[in-house]
Amino acid sequence: MKQDSIQRPLLEVSNLTLKHRATSGATTILRDVSMKLHRGEILGLIGESGAGKSTLGNAILGLLTPEFERTAGTILFNGQALESMDERQWDAIRGRRISAVFQDHTASLDPLMTIGAQLEETIRATDGNVSAHQARARAFDLLVRVGIPNPHERYASFPHQFSGGQRQRVVIAIALAGTPQIIVADEPTSALDATVQKQILRLLRELVDETGVSVILVTHDMGVVAEITDKVVVMKRGEVVEADTTSTILDDPRKGYTRRLLAAVPRLRVRSCEQSDNRSSTDREMGSDAEAPILIVQGVTKTFSGQGFPWFRKHTRKLALRNVSVRLARGAITGIVGESGSGKSTVGRIIAGLETAGEGTLDIDGTSYDISLPGQRSGLLGRVQMIFQDPAVSLNPRMSVAETLQESVRFGSRRPLGARPDVATMMERLGLAQSLLARYPHQLSGGQKQRVCIARALLAGPQIIVADEPTSALDVSVQAEIAKLLKEMVTEQAVSMLFISHDLALVQELCSSVYIFKEGVVEDAGSSEFIFSRSRNSYTRSLIDARPRRFTY
Amino acid sequence: MKVETIRALWKRPTRKSVSLSKLLLATYILLALVAPIIAPQNPHDPLQIYAWEASSPPLAMGGGGYTYLLGTDGLGRDIVSTILYGLRISLVVSITSTAIAALIGVAAGVSAAYFGKWVDVVIMRIVDLQLSLPTILVALIAIVTLGPGIDRIILAIIIVQWAVYARIARGVALSEISKSYLDAARLQRLPTRRVIFRHLLPNSIAPAITLVPIELGHAVALEATLSFLGLGVPIDKPSLGSTVASGFQYLLTGQYWISLFPGLALFGLIASINFVGEDVRRLLDPRNRSI
Repeated sequence: MKQDSIQRPLLEVSNLTLKHRATSGATTILRDVSMKLHRGEILGLIGESGAGKSTLGNAILGLLTPEFERTAGTILFNGQALESMDERQWDAIRGRRISAVFQDHTASLDPLMTIGAQLEETIRATDGNVSAHQARARAFDLLVRVGIPNPHERYASFPHQFSGGQRQRVVIAIALAGTPQIIVADEPTSALDATVQKQILRLLRELVDETGVSVILVTHDMGVVAEITDKVVVMKRGEVVEADTTSTILDDPRKGYTRRLLAAVPRLRVRSCEQSDNRSSTDREMGSDAEAPILIVQGVTKTFSGQGFPWFRKHTRKLALRNVSVRLARGAITGIVGESGSGKSTVGRIIAGLETAGEGTLDIDGTSYDISLPGQRSGLLGRVQMIFQDPAVSLNPRMSVAETLQESVRFGSRRPLGARPDVATMMERLGLAQSLLARYPHQLSGGQKQRVCIARALLAGPQIIVADEPTSALDVSVQAEIAKLLKEMVTEQAVSMLFISHDLALVQELCSSVYIFKEGVVEDAGSSEFIFSRSRNSYTRSLIDARPRRFTY
Repeated sequence: MKVETIRALWKRPTRKSVSLSKLLLATYILLALVAPIIAPQNPHDPLQIYAWEASSPPLAMGGGGYTYLLGTDGLGRDIVSTILYGLRISLVVSITSTAIAALIGVAAGVSAAYFGKWVDVVIMRIVDLQLSLPTILVALIAIVTLGPGIDRIILAIIIVQWAVYARIARGVALSEISKSYLDAARLQRLPTRRVIFRHLLPNSIAPAITLVPIELGHAVALEATLSFLGLGVPIDKPSLGSTVASGFQYLLTGQYWISLFPGLALFGLIASINFVGEDVRRLLDPRNRSI
């Protein structure tokens, strides 16, 4: 089989050049891109945003909008030229020979159809000769194949009754319905939690090994690439930087860009350092920090009540946090790790005074605040600043950088007039050129926006900063820069930081102590060294195991 | 926002052909502006009206030394002049009421979203109530309670229209409030006034503004309807709608011109506002704006 595949690739893209025509003029999206895909192979297309990797995936699926214009190159699939096909010819290919799995599993499924009906529909659409009975049988087989538990019971369930990971499994089952030769998977696991991501990737690998289908995996995550791909194509700004087998790319990258991408992936150390194991369990609670913590949060419990009339609300009530206690060490970064829905962001917002909690106490530097009151009334609001996840929505789109920062100095600052920080100095320290002052958020890159957000938070002169996933919306190389900057700022500006993240490696790199959250409860806590090397908590271990081996040592 | 909006409006007309509707609307506005200069007669001035020439057919020679191009109405007023002056009233009423309705509606909607709780409940239930009643009924109730007069008509149209803006503005403001920049604004302990006027309002106003041109067309039509029903402008200062109404009784005797020509003028006005409004709305909609 290997012999055969070397002779004739299943899919061959040669010298593809695509232009995007917009009112403002044409831009080249792909330039002279070539790649080969063989049977039973998983090919990773990796690159940062704007690399053109999704566009290439869509070109292979024939899903490009009319604004895209091919100026050169061919896409050969089994000897057929895909690039010159019309819609009718595509119908015979798309969904049958080449199918797709997209990032957003919720949008990929029809919310008003049961998953069984959606599968049957796809099966019958791709093969007109299948009887209703056969389609149903095949649909069951596919659900079993992708690992949906109790497929007979779940067959008539609607998409919203499944978890995210299970929905993505159903989407994969639908992609398999036409027995395709190629599946183009565009960021199939980016919207999933780490542990679920691992399971989905394992499923893809199994499917490839069993059925001989080929997969093109579009991703920005080196971890995903390292986990399951056979070959990798590294892309940057519409061009192929490097293409080789995965092991070569990972162990012996030729190009500087590939090396930079690899270096930017945070590594997780799980082997214990040369620290003695005989510290008492009370000692591990806060590491070696002898000083009093700047922030003490104790026994916080919060329920989200549903919408609607008061007497109906009881049934929709959901416990978001249960008896959560967190201490923040002075002048250090404390991490909170958890998967989505674990309540980690809610804790951050309660500490910042943006949300209230039913029970619990909060002390900042010896002053108590009533967290059952809104932040404005308890005086908590403004003592803590936040850096948010998505820089695209954390700056007012109608205010220039200068206006945003000056507002923070003027209103947010708790210091007397004379001691107020200087916007220009802060900009320079954060690596922002003075010329950016006049710009509006949409004229900035993601990294620049996040730097402005950091500047805004610091200019208000807080003692504590809550950073809620501040790097997860950014490209890998930018992530590393922002993380480094945060660490430096904590030391230089004498602030304490609560760093909320789902990324274990990043937390390990930045934080001196870590809390692991699970379903609104503190599942595990301790010094960073303890959590990552010695904790015996099974949930902590499963989080660490979900990390790609390649980047764990 | 202002600059962007104007730029978006400015960019498009680089197309050489100006559409018919834009040309027509421009003509209407120009005619309304210069009406006192070009109109052969001032229909608001009883001294210029010759009652014995009432119901003259089109092209009849009048005593004032000019031809009644489109005839005269039942009181002897020149139809051309009545249309020109009526146009002024129709436009003033609709533009004023639409502008004020948009202002009140956006303010109410954004307040409902920002303050939440009982403010939200009270404002939005009034909006619901109002939108569940037929437009013309609300206007009728308003006019009957307030009494006749141009200012009352403006008020009635505002009462009818503000709810639409309020509902849209509230929805947009709610989605803006959930964005982190407003959290950041709260964390900086900005005064409430500043949070609303500097952060929330400028980002919530755009979708409501796209409604203005369309509601303008509705306002003209509503004013005409009310005037036609005799609940509108006073009889001595006829708008387009009331002129159509006053000619209604003469239709049976074959004196078609009194109703027909003002009716056509009204039709053209509403149609051109609606077409241009649709264009403007499409231009202002951020989803249609390519960068």
